[in-house]
Amino acid sequence: MNYYDILFYLFAIITLVSAGFVVTTRNVIYSAFFLLFTFFGVAGIYVLLAADFIAVVQIMVYVGGILILLLFGVMLTNKITNVDIRTGTGNLLPASIAVGLLMGALVSVMIYTGWKVQPGEVPDTSIKQLGALLITDYLLIFELLGILLLIALIGAASIARRDKE
Amino acid sequence: MYQYFYELTGSVIISTLITAVFPLVNVLLVALLGVYLERKVSAWMQDRVGPNRAGPFGLFQTVADFIKMLQKEDATALDIDKKLYNIAPVLVFAGSFAVYAVIPFSSKLIGSEIEVGLFYALAVSSFVVAGILMAGWSSNNKYSLLGAMRSAAQIVSYEIPTALVVLAMVMFLGTLSLSKISEMQTAYFWNWNILGGAEFGLVKFLLIPFMVVGFVIIFISTLAEVNRTPFDIPEAESELVAGYFTEYCGMKWAMFMLSEYGNMFAVSAIVSILFFGGYQSPFGYLGNTLGIEWLIPYEQAFWFILKGWFFIFVQMWLRWTLPRLRVDQLMTVCWKYLIPYAFVNLIIIGIITLL
Amino acid sequence: MKEYLKNTWLGIYTVLVGMKITFKHLFTPAVTIQYPEVKLKLPERERNRLYVNIDDCIGCDQCSRACPVSCIDIETVKSIPGEDLGTTSNGKKKAFWVTNFTIDFAKCCYCQLCVFPCPTECIYMTDVFEFSTYERNDLVYQFSNLTKEEAEQKKINFANFQAEKEKQKAAAATAPKTENPSQPNTN
Repeated sequence: MNYYDILFYLFAIITLVSAGFVVTTRNVIYSAFFLLFTFFGVAGIYVLLAADFIAVVQIMVYVGGILILLLFGVMLTNKITNVDIRTGTGNLLPASIAVGLLMGALVSVMIYTGWKVQPGEVPDTSIKQLGALLITDYLLIFELLGILLLIALIGAASIARRDKE
Repeated sequence: MYQYFYELTGSVIISTLITAVFPLVNVLLVALLGVYLERKVSAWMQDRVGPNRAGPFGLFQTVADFIKMLQKEDATALDIDKKLYNIAPVLVFAGSFAVYAVIPFSSKLIGSEIEVGLFYALAVSSFVVAGILMAGWSSNNKYSLLGAMRSAAQIVSYEIPTALVVLAMVMFLGTLSLSKISEMQTAYFWNWNILGGAEFGLVKFLLIPFMVVGFVIIFISTLAEVNRTPFDIPEAESELVAGYFTEYCGMKWAMFMLSEYGNMFAVSAIVSILFFGGYQSPFGYLGNTLGIEWLIPYEQAFWFILKGWFFIFVQMWLRWTLPRLRVDQLMTVCWKYLIPYAFVNLIIIGIITLL
Repeated sequence: MKEYLKNTWLGIYTVLVGMKITFKHLFTPAVTIQYPEVKLKLPERERNRLYVNIDDCIGCDQCSRACPVSCIDIETVKSIPGEDLGTTSNGKKKAFWVTNFTIDFAKCCYCQLCVFPCPTECIYMTDVFEFSTYERNDLVYQFSNLTKEEAEQKKINFANFQAEKEKQKAAAATAPKTENPSQPNTN
């Protein structure tokens, strides 16, 4: 077991434990903040996989964008000064069946897929290849995503301005 | 530096720790001298004397303050959220200190030469935002919460012009690595990016005005990101007591101050790397003229820290010049002025780079 | 569009103007007076701590009566014949031992009303204004130059003298009846 293994298990534990807390804790604010550590752990695992760009994007988009938005939403939509922001659990049985099925599917995929195991040849950086792939092979998807985001943006702006008329 | 200590000690952990100590010492010194300089600069600009009691010229004022802070009782309000309240200062400081991992103090003194350094520096500051929100929410105080909200809103919006200028610079330079960006601007000051970079001919002169615009935009937006006046509505003392750290005292409060000054130096460092040659000397190196090779990294560290302090001084200068912006003015500056200019600048720099 | 550009220009230009002003002030010498080391010259008729020149005091109690906050406390004992108290500097004969002359500066309001009635000008304002102490009692200043024992002695002397006088009076009152020659007073 070398340092990388130790680091991997560290990040894995951080990710799993905090993800568990996200699901089980009854306080929405706590869930949101545990999500922060989950994202952090996932970013660490990306770094260990030599995907530096993805790791940084993970932090930038999820922590810097989505998590902040989430926190804003939670903080502004509930009673601000009270800690009484709690979630309940309903529909326990159907939910556990659905989740169990989904998990089974995922685990079976994980087990029966023939993973391409390559000897570790860590590229110095992944930005160049990523950029080239985005502009060549995945150009259409890339552009479509851009348009989708633009539509979402315009839609949000128009919803926000609707009651002015 | 890491390599050197790795060869010396043969241990990954020890060499990593030693490499991490240097930026930490730098942050502590920046906070220690920064508070002193802040008070002195404000005093001089208002025709006062400033701290001059503790030690020669009051140099030990911050040390005395620090000792006072250590002795303070850790008073906490009753209805706070204890866990988040205690984590928040650590998270904020961790976020601001993490930036130093990629900042090249000299050609030898750099924590990690990762290829996405610039992007990383922008990304980890989002931990600061999360920490600020955490601090504001857990304090269970309306001023704290308002301050945290304002701070987060401000940092998130001003990240956009920063990112756009960084994008323009990345298009021009073709790399995200901070050490490579610094290396590109070597030799003399006319090779600095603000003066068109290490190119010659018409392109260089065409670039200069747009580089200046880019510099102004990124300087303003990073100023907003570290919550300094005129963008200090998150901790507007006349409205919100102290913003998100109203409920903190003693060493936890000191952590917030430490991270604020650490952030100030970090953004100064990034601005100076992007536009003012990073650790490069403006006039060539003494080590080269005298033929002493080992002197060069020290000179580079000297120039780098000098540039960092210069921009910290400019931040203070602005702080004691301008009044605080109102929140709508703040958003107007960001969305109506900085972002359009940054976009136009991005396009023009792109076109010129293609020429 | 024109207005937009004008706003931008104004924004940058005004900031630069402000920065120029503050930069100039960076090199303006400070106007601060470093108080304990450097002191402002006090005005000519400043009112600060009182001083009593006890050698000139005739114990007339006028200052004490003039004081609006009763911070001056004077206790006097008449001198007995044969004691020479000397004269004040303006030639008045002193007739009282001032056994106690205290001014409580915690109460004093520095109105200077006590200074004017003094017939010998022995109570006056000085230029001392830094006399804070840790104990409130330290602000009660004793100006009498008699020690406690001396003051007690004076009181006893006066009491004795008074008693003697009473005795004499009594003797004088009873003398015509008995027609006894009185003893010579040796006191």
